[in-house]
Amino acid sequence: MKKVLSLILAGSLALSLVACGGAASSSAPAGSSAPAEGNKVLKVAAIETAYGSEMWKAVAKAFEASHEGVTVELVTDKNLEDVIGANMKAGDYPDVVHLATGRPAALTETLIKEDGLEDITDVLSMTVPGENVKVSDKIAGGFTDSSLTNPYGDGKTYMAPMFYSPCGLFYNVGLFEEKGWEVPKTWDEMWALGDKAKAEGIALFTYPTTGYFDAFFYALLYEVGGPEFFDRAMKYEEGIWQTEEAKAAFDIVAKLATYTDSTVPANANNDNFTKNQQLVLDNKALFMPNGTWVIGEMADAPHADGFQWGFTALPAVKEGGDSYSYTWFEQCWIPAEAQNKELAKEFIAYLYSDEAANLFANTKTKNDDGTEKLSGAIQPIKGFADTLEGDNKLFYAIYDNGAKAALGNFAATEAVEGVNMADTLFGTVNSLVSGDKTEDQWIADVTKVSDQLRAALK
Amino acid sequence: MDKQKGRGRFVFFCVTPAVVLFVIFMIIPTLNIFRMSLYKWGGYSKTKKFVGFDNFIKLFQDPKFFQSFQNTLLLIVLVTVVTFAFSLVFAAILSREKIRGQNFFRVVFYIPNILSVVVISAIFSAIYDPNNGMLNSLLSLFRGGDAKPILWLGDQKIVIFSLAGAMVWQAIGYYMVMYMASMASIPESLYECASLEGASRIHQFFHITIPLIWTNIRTTLTFFIISSINLSFLFVKAMTSGGPDGSTEVFLSYMYKQAYTNSSYGYGMAIGAVVFIFSFALSAIVNAVTKREPLEF
Repeated sequence: MKKVLSLILAGSLALSLVACGGAASSSAPAGSSAPAEGNKVLKVAAIETAYGSEMWKAVAKAFEASHEGVTVELVTDKNLEDVIGANMKAGDYPDVVHLATGRPAALTETLIKEDGLEDITDVLSMTVPGENVKVSDKIAGGFTDSSLTNPYGDGKTYMAPMFYSPCGLFYNVGLFEEKGWEVPKTWDEMWALGDKAKAEGIALFTYPTTGYFDAFFYALLYEVGGPEFFDRAMKYEEGIWQTEEAKAAFDIVAKLATYTDSTVPANANNDNFTKNQQLVLDNKALFMPNGTWVIGEMADAPHADGFQWGFTALPAVKEGGDSYSYTWFEQCWIPAEAQNKELAKEFIAYLYSDEAANLFANTKTKNDDGTEKLSGAIQPIKGFADTLEGDNKLFYAIYDNGAKAALGNFAATEAVEGVNMADTLFGTVNSLVSGDKTEDQWIADVTKVSDQLRAALK
Repeated sequence: MDKQKGRGRFVFFCVTPAVVLFVIFMIIPTLNIFRMSLYKWGGYSKTKKFVGFDNFIKLFQDPKFFQSFQNTLLLIVLVTVVTFAFSLVFAAILSREKIRGQNFFRVVFYIPNILSVVVISAIFSAIYDPNNGMLNSLLSLFRGGDAKPILWLGDQKIVIFSLAGAMVWQAIGYYMVMYMASMASIPESLYECASLEGASRIHQFFHITIPLIWTNIRTTLTFFIISSINLSFLFVKAMTSGGPDGSTEVFLSYMYKQAYTNSSYGYGMAIGAVVFIFSFALSAIVNAVTKREPLEF
């Protein structure tokens, strides 16, 4: 009896092992042998963010419907790197990946640094499937010129721009009306307002984490020196941080640090940053840099009486100067090791069709509490923002109301061990607020890191 | 003879699965870390470049690595000393003295240990909150309501001690139970004899209890080193994200940051190799220093 039992156990163990092995290896041949037959499998991996994953399912289905014989194998996850990362290490790559830069696991950045992305410049001249327009004619101006899509600055596009969102300063309109304050148009007005607010026990400024200074600082660089200066700074030009323009930007942030609520650094981390955002909802701070997602993020938090979201671009440096709002957008790309590159390019072209754009913006998605909302991801397609309604209309209209769009980020470099621009340029703001570092130390650190990265430029 | 052979075969089959698993999941990955530390590699692509000991040379010139080294050392020493003292005293009190609600205290002290680190971090984040936190509310009784709040997680000079506080609270119960277990095996007669001879409670504690649980204490010292290195990563991840401005970066959080966020996987593995050697060496030193003739009852 015992023998029989142990045999059964051993057998089932062996079977389960075989089953595991089978599952792991079955996906590879399916992908590689598919192109020979009419039945093609396209492996798409997309990060699940506040927009939800329903819209991706809808788009995948619509793509299958319009492309006969194509099956889309869709993977969506909030921690996409954990799901596809291990397979990629083992040489099994998705065909299309939607994953923006700026995530802690930095998978996209790593592939940029190691030439792991496929050149998709030709997608821009492809016709959008189901329409008679070229992709480049549909994508809104400027989106395919920045270092976020052309990381090596050689005019070639490696990443397709996706879901965009204007970033700027968020505030409580109700509080401004109640106090009779005006939203400042220049930084001088901003400081004046800061002093007025201080007298009432309200801080001028708060920030969720120092990571949010990227959009803020990029827009500020545009303001102090224009697009050309911004480009030079992003390419780590020698001596750029010692220029008058850079000094003006550093001065503004350093001064802003003195107007920041003193408790902010204590909560400026991934787990407590909502407490810093709450300061605005509680009328304890006037402005915070953020993106449009903050409204959904704070929807369930208590709001002060008469609270109403307001959104403005950064104040201009001087009277009559340009005011900028940074355009944050996500990216979609094809790994250089992908199996079905042609079909992947077709898929990316399809993402700019009216059909897909509509699905991204208007797919019904369940909230965590079971209520339904629209997905609300806005593709960077010309004229698409005009079709928006509600809160979104206000935000996306910021560029129609005089603010200019700031786009781009630092140029790609080889990985330099122990050196990180974001940590130095933005992370130090915590030390400025707490007084642990001076502005001069900050500039010296940034210059040093900039020098090290310049040597590693790609 | 045949029996001997059968026994040998039995032992072989019993041990093989464990050895195979150990080799696959422990030995090979560890060797891999050392191998990877010699490459410049981002972790995902196929471009791997052999750079010899470059990563280590850079590592020893990296001020941020030394900051994380300092923070880790401070945490190891501080958490070990404080936890060790508290848990030993609590264990002695709970196993030697007759106090009311003994079992209640045993359970209460042990509870932090069954909570996940993320939960503990959330609890302590709430306690340390500058505006509505328990600690600042209590202190405002003495400091007055208008005093500036103390930023337990925001002041770069305090924050590492705030982390240590959470780690100590988490660890006390676990070590207390370990010490209590070995204290329970000390024969009662020794204490009776000692008190007849007129030895005080404190005298008994230092001359009977501690020498007789010495082997246990040595084991726990190694545990302290390993768990401080491991747990500090979890606490940092969940409480401060290494901030403000890198002031709570520890070994493993810095390793993670370099290996992933900074796309320097090879460099991260070099940090891993240093941590590996460091923790082994430290444990060996502690073990050698605390070596005594084992006492038997």
